[in-house]
Amino acid sequence: MRVSMPTIFMSIQSQLQRLAEELQYTNAQISTGHKYQQISDDPVQVGGLMGLNVETSQVAQYKSNLDTAQSWLSATETALTNINTLVSATASLAEQMATGTYTAQQRAAAAQQVQQYMEEFMQMGNSRYQGHYILSGYRIDTEPFTMQPFAIQPPEMHLQAGSDGAATSSGTYTGSSSVTYIIEIVSGGATGAATYRVSEDGGQTWSATNTTAVGPLAIGADGAEVNFNGGSANWVAGDRFTISVYQPITYQGDDNSLELSSGRGSRMAVSTVGSEAVGGAGGPNDLFQIMAHLKSNLEANDPAGVGARLEELRDYQGHLTSFLAGLGASLNRVEVKQNAYDTLNEELTQNIAKKGDTDLVEAATSLANKQLAYQAALQSSTQIMRMSLLDFM
Amino acid sequence: MSGILGLMDIAKRALAAEQLGVEVTSHNISNVNTPGFSRQIVYFETSMALPSPYGSLGFGVDVTGIERAFSSFIVARLDQNTAFLGENKTIKSNLDQVASLFNETQATGMTELFTAFWDAWHALADNPSGAGERQALLTQAQNLADAFSSRADQLVQSRTAITQQIGPTIEQINNLAAQVAQLNGEIVSLEVNGEMANDLRDKRNLALNKLSELAGINYYTSGDGTISVSLPNGASLVESVHSWDLSYTITPSDTVSILWNGPGGATTDVTSSLRGGELSALVQVRDTLITQYQSDLDDIAQELIAQVNSQHSQGVGLDLYTDTTSSYFVTTADLAAPLINNPSLSFGDRIAAGQFTIHVEDGSGGTVATNIAIGAGTTLNDLATALNAVPNLSASIVTSGNENRLQITAAAGYSFGFSQDTSNVLMALGLNNFFIGDSAWTIGVNDTLINNADLIAAGTIDPATGDHPPGDNSNALLLAEMGEQTVAPGGLTFSDAYQQFVTNIGLDAEDAGNKQTYYQGLVDQFTQMRESVSGVSLDEELSNLIKFQRAYQAAAKMVTTADELLQTLLTLKE
Repeated sequence: MRVSMPTIFMSIQSQLQRLAEELQYTNAQISTGHKYQQISDDPVQVGGLMGLNVETSQVAQYKSNLDTAQSWLSATETALTNINTLVSATASLAEQMATGTYTAQQRAAAAQQVQQYMEEFMQMGNSRYQGHYILSGYRIDTEPFTMQPFAIQPPEMHLQAGSDGAATSSGTYTGSSSVTYIIEIVSGGATGAATYRVSEDGGQTWSATNTTAVGPLAIGADGAEVNFNGGSANWVAGDRFTISVYQPITYQGDDNSLELSSGRGSRMAVSTVGSEAVGGAGGPNDLFQIMAHLKSNLEANDPAGVGARLEELRDYQGHLTSFLAGLGASLNRVEVKQNAYDTLNEELTQNIAKKGDTDLVEAATSLANKQLAYQAALQSSTQIMRMSLLDFM
Repeated sequence: MSGILGLMDIAKRALAAEQLGVEVTSHNISNVNTPGFSRQIVYFETSMALPSPYGSLGFGVDVTGIERAFSSFIVARLDQNTAFLGENKTIKSNLDQVASLFNETQATGMTELFTAFWDAWHALADNPSGAGERQALLTQAQNLADAFSSRADQLVQSRTAITQQIGPTIEQINNLAAQVAQLNGEIVSLEVNGEMANDLRDKRNLALNKLSELAGINYYTSGDGTISVSLPNGASLVESVHSWDLSYTITPSDTVSILWNGPGGATTDVTSSLRGGELSALVQVRDTLITQYQSDLDDIAQELIAQVNSQHSQGVGLDLYTDTTSSYFVTTADLAAPLINNPSLSFGDRIAAGQFTIHVEDGSGGTVATNIAIGAGTTLNDLATALNAVPNLSASIVTSGNENRLQITAAAGYSFGFSQDTSNVLMALGLNNFFIGDSAWTIGVNDTLINNADLIAAGTIDPATGDHPPGDNSNALLLAEMGEQTVAPGGLTFSDAYQQFVTNIGLDAEDAGNKQTYYQGLVDQFTQMRESVSGVSLDEELSNLIKFQRAYQAAAKMVTTADELLQTLLTLKE
């Protein structure tokens, strides 16, 4: 091929330009630390990197959600564990009181203690995390357990064999402390014929004997009333029933449990519904109701009733234990997930580094190579450019 | 005419011939760096021999002509590839600018803003009553909306910038076509007596090469030495000494149309037949590539608005509304049309027959729920009437100019919220929405929420009880999970859809880059080949210079010798 001046200079220029471009690219890779400077450098790889980055930040978000989950679960676990401990204490008190060796005074004192326990249960149930009540479902701004005004409870009947007496309670309580009235039939017969007497201190002292009536008949001085059912009711001497007056504790939250996103398409419930775990909404596992009953039984000096409450307490403890076990399992799940995300995060970071970060050794070697090539090109170009026939004329 | 005088004559013509050789060589050396120059060669031949008694006697040298070293075949291939190089170079440089808007290789790309947005929903789900989380969500949402609109704006600006390049490019094409036509005329008039107008032909070839870079052309030489140039569809740019102009207009649909203004006022739209060259690249980038990116970006933004709003409108914030006005409007002309598929509403096609519940709450927490049905024929007026009938609520249509919006106001001491919208009408009208707007350019965060972050609907109203406790995160959780759901265009997640969008731009830019490199290689090669034939080699010219100089010296010596011969002859007489 014939070589002309433009041929020589054009090829020198284009080759130097190409080498300079490559040098610049490698230099940018080294100085930024990124393998790719523009999406067109390798769109598919850059797209893959974007995906990895999205995944990394998602993992970070899930980890942060799990942190929140852990706080909720731990706070709930603490509250429920405290309740459990106190339930044990109550149970051992009830166990003592269920035996016949205690006097009515001792049981009345125990009733006071039960009242205090009950208030403690309420406080424990009203635990907060970051200012939010943890046991009230979505109603995080509402105390889950509150003490209601004094309420006169329906009678609890202890009838003799052959008796079919029935009674209801009514009235508005005006007193300021809880009390359990024992109503005992002194002489049997139909309502209107039978007589009764009332005790406010567990049967230690009794009121004067009165004749039963459909009522309402006042019992005590604080507004409580009893209604003996009329009709064919036939009382037997020795029939007893108790009417308790106390401040019931009820649940104010709702049935929702807070869920957090713990992974792609997976949610985790982190809050426990107070009415299910502790009570306040009735049912067999309502701790507050059991406690109120227990207290009434103690006030009524009723060891058999206390024994029955003890059974209920033990059942409740089993129920609570299953909640605690559930919380433990959830906490464990959080931990397992956290670990899994840590591992995943590490892998993702490595993957991103491998795909997107400049391999410094490789880049430095390539830079050295290109530098050498550039220098060689400069040298040979100057040699060629210098050559001319003019030098010899 | 042999003899001494004949000798003189041979020497004289040799002197003239070698001098011409030196002159052409000088011309070549002078133009070593002139673009488009083809080196010229003097052709010599022996003169007609004269008869002599001893046979025919050579009679010196004759110059037959000066020609340029030129290969029309190589140049044609060069021009063809120059057109493709010009096209891909322009595409590449313009796409690089577009791609830099979506450069996700660096931090602060849109992917990051997307994940920050979903993360903010997660944070709100973790703490639904948190004021900080609400504020952070608004900030992230605004960042995302700003990123959308700034990129949409930049895309529009890119198109405008390209439109501004189209005019000058067409002007250049017209000038070059006129230049070729003029050179055609000059060459014909110069060559009429059989000479070659070498330098003018070089100029014309250079003009054709420049023209090829701007627009893909076909050209052919006709018998009289003129070159005719036409566009790929046959529309003639240059015919003999005439040239025809191109011009452009912007069509009503905002595309560029390139017009060929032929003889007799005939115009033809040649936009679709352009092949190769910068002009075709500019039209392609402006009206095919960027418009595609714009619509892809709009699709993502639109789906984001629709999906987020559709979920958000189902929920309730910490506060209820005391009054609210729909963010979308129905034009007066469309007021009579049903809401379903109403042409005024961008998301009208997403409304279906169904119902929603509006809960009106008095100050003490008592609520009354009313179901509002949306049927196939329900108009905005019907909806306003239905809402107006709800106790302690008044609804009316607020008209400003041509725009009719639905305003709902609660009676004093009352407030209201929405739930259970199966019709999507709340989303489509812009009631209880998170985003406003309907495209990448118009997306924004609802001002109502910016003014009162407690209206961000993290929870829902319990349809049975009307309860909306502050710890309810159910709606926020659904919104947070939307980040991982395949609800974006193309059955992808929003991050994946955006990623695909960016990858497509990258691939287009990479493709243009690869083509540019390929055609650059071809152009380099053909240029080398052209220069190999036509380029000036100084060494060659210098040796020619010496060659002609020596020959000139020898011819001069011949004159001296003839002169001496003549003098010798003249001295015979003395």
